[in-house]
Amino acid sequence: MATEETPSDQLGRTTALRLQQLKGQLFEVALIAATLVGIVSLLVLFAQISNDAFRPGTASPAWFLIYLSTLVAPTAAFTLYARRRPAVRKTNAKAFAAVFGGLLLSLVTYAVVDSLSPYDVFIYAAFASLPPVLVLAYDRTTDDRTYTGPAVPVSMIVGTGVAAALYDLIRGPIGIAAEWIMYFGLVTVPAALLVAWLTASRRGRRAGSIVGGVVAAGGLVVAVAAIAAGVNASLPVVLFSAFVVPTSYVVVRSVRTNPEGRIGVAGPFILLGGVLLGASLAYEVKSPDTFLTPNLLLNSWDGLTASNAGVYPQIVGSVIIVGFMAVLAFPVGIGAAVYLEEYAPDTGWGGRLATLLEINISNLAGVPSVVYGLLGLALFRRTLGLGTGVVVSAAGTLGLLILPIVIVSTQEALRSVPDALRQGSYGMGASRWQTLREVVLPQAIPGTLTGTILALARAIGETAPLVIIAIATTTYSPPSGLFSSGTALPLQIFAASANAKPEFRHGVVPAAAVVLLVLMLLMNATAIVIRNKYGREN
Amino acid sequence: MSESDSAPKIQTSIETGKTDSAPPETEDVVIESRSLDVYYGDEQALDDVSMEIREREVTALIGPSGCGKSTFLRCINRMNDMIDVCRVEGDVEFSGKNVYDDNVDSVALRRKIGIVFQKPNPFPKSIRDNVAYGLKIQGFDGDVDERVEESLKEAALWDEVKDQLDSSGLDLSGGQQQRLCIARAIAPDPEVVLMDEPTSALDPVAASKIEDLIDDLAGEYTVIIVTHNMQQAARISDRTAVFLTGGRLVEYDDTATIFEDPEHQRVEDYITGKFG
Repeated sequence: MATEETPSDQLGRTTALRLQQLKGQLFEVALIAATLVGIVSLLVLFAQISNDAFRPGTASPAWFLIYLSTLVAPTAAFTLYARRRPAVRKTNAKAFAAVFGGLLLSLVTYAVVDSLSPYDVFIYAAFASLPPVLVLAYDRTTDDRTYTGPAVPVSMIVGTGVAAALYDLIRGPIGIAAEWIMYFGLVTVPAALLVAWLTASRRGRRAGSIVGGVVAAGGLVVAVAAIAAGVNASLPVVLFSAFVVPTSYVVVRSVRTNPEGRIGVAGPFILLGGVLLGASLAYEVKSPDTFLTPNLLLNSWDGLTASNAGVYPQIVGSVIIVGFMAVLAFPVGIGAAVYLEEYAPDTGWGGRLATLLEINISNLAGVPSVVYGLLGLALFRRTLGLGTGVVVSAAGTLGLLILPIVIVSTQEALRSVPDALRQGSYGMGASRWQTLREVVLPQAIPGTLTGTILALARAIGETAPLVIIAIATTTYSPPSGLFSSGTALPLQIFAASANAKPEFRHGVVPAAAVVLLVLMLLMNATAIVIRNKYGREN
Repeated sequence: MSESDSAPKIQTSIETGKTDSAPPETEDVVIESRSLDVYYGDEQALDDVSMEIREREVTALIGPSGCGKSTFLRCINRMNDMIDVCRVEGDVEFSGKNVYDDNVDSVALRRKIGIVFQKPNPFPKSIRDNVAYGLKIQGFDGDVDERVEESLKEAALWDEVKDQLDSSGLDLSGGQQQRLCIARAIAPDPEVVLMDEPTSALDPVAASKIEDLIDDLAGEYTVIIVTHNMQQAARISDRTAVFLTGGRLVEYDDTATIFEDPEHQRVEDYITGKFG
């Protein structure tokens, strides 16, 4: 050690360095273990639930073979084909959205409108949508546009109020019309207008009106055909307008304008065709003894025979409650977030108050849902005197529950808009409102939507607050209005899990849980689609 | 389009480009500040600044970091209003009217006095919508497309973007984005264009294009530019104001005089790079 060390001698691995490295490796292993524990336990849980729901073990091998050849193999082949062709993949995604989105939209619309009475929905929809349309039409004819912007929401609110005031007068005469005409007005007319507008913006006004006319005429033809065949025309009309029309629009447009990716439109049809073909071939073979059957989706509850038990009223109730909750909570939540983020002062007493509010809102996001149930009970049942277990109370309670989540996520989205954009807009002589509308809000939409739809997904699974406000666990028909009693899917799952018969606990409950999970996944998927769409446009 | 588009102007010595040009025809004062004090909380950012800015000239504001030159710029169109702790005392007159009067609306003021920032900040909209933004919010009822074209031509950007007016402004390069921001600022036809270090985030080629552009704009607009780059101030400005630490305006004169024969020793030290 007498000779001095050169720098190159110091490059070796010393014990201290080894120790450091070992610590790092141990930390990494611990992190991997933590990740695996979480993921594996979730996977085991889901595997168990789906095994109980689908019961694949009870099917004969022939059943698997049939579906393997009609459904799995063609879909896998198509996926492999599309994997390396981005144009095909893109068209495929569009076609999937149109086919399954359209199918889902038609069924949900029909179920909800049917339970709330098509006549009532039509009256309110007409009174809420006609005034803004008239305002916008007036806006085109005049130069003075100062007041037409604010007039749109005002006219909607006034229209709804007028509908409520005149309801008794109008309901009688409207009731003479056939039910399918209501659906025609509610679904076919907007679909025709939308398609006409989309076509007109690409291929001129004439083409637009022709396509719109074709859609409307198609709706009439479907209705007449259904009546001639002796079936209720309502569902066919809805299916035509919200499923066939968007599907054909996407298919025709892709085939015409996109030669590279046009094969992609086949994707959803391969899947649908596989299911149908498999079902027709597998008729004779032993299929799994699953409880996830059409009975479960379309029947009402039967607490004695498991194979006959259905959760149709519960599904529709959940959708109506969550939908109305969104109408209540989103304007309030987004409005509060915009105020706190963009208008509230930063300094002085006002600033301190705003900070206090913000801290409290973040804390409210973590309050147990049972407590919100108590709040809902006190507010809607005791104070406002609404009936026991009605849809409005449920929607209001869940709305209060998700309000903090909506506010916080919207605030995050607004905060992520760079200040340089605001400065740029103010520097151009824009007022605060113009800056907000033109620059800040468009940038914040994707984040806001993601947060709020995730809040919806949370609300649809909530059980405890609904128990506290005495929502019925079982009703035998979907809610007939906002002030009638309804029920929700998680409540029925909770109640059925205590059923004495094991086929309920081990069959119907997991099957209904799968339905609930699918509902939630659909909402999350919508959130992702919307976020990606807006993200690309910006 | 001059040669400077293809090659950056790199100058090793300071030379003033305006020395032999004829004196400007108009000497009308468009902006005048009188004993202007600005405070951020307890800290004083500007100390008794009085200066007159002439119409259709390029006035450069130079000085070391933190000397208050950006603060002064932002006082002119009241961008400082948005900072809660900022307090302004004294007058800033724009064509004879104190912009801090109670009956002056800051929104209306900014429609007459546009601003371009240090970092290009185009809106996440199409190029066309970016330029048309000011027209839209001010309720312009003429031919918007024509105005967009004019402004892009004035900002020397038209040839590069005329085929992609509908693509996003964010797809452009940094220098193009800054020229887009200039086009956006001049589209509503303001009287004055303020520029807060418009080239400091750009590479030399892009910066030299912006300098040429400022030179062209001076024929039609009053331009006030804050810059850290003294060569830039010497090249493009008619008059130069030197701010030194403490928010004091130390010297304000013709650019040639400031760079060749400054009155104060400290100004000469700063300009020759002895400090700052």
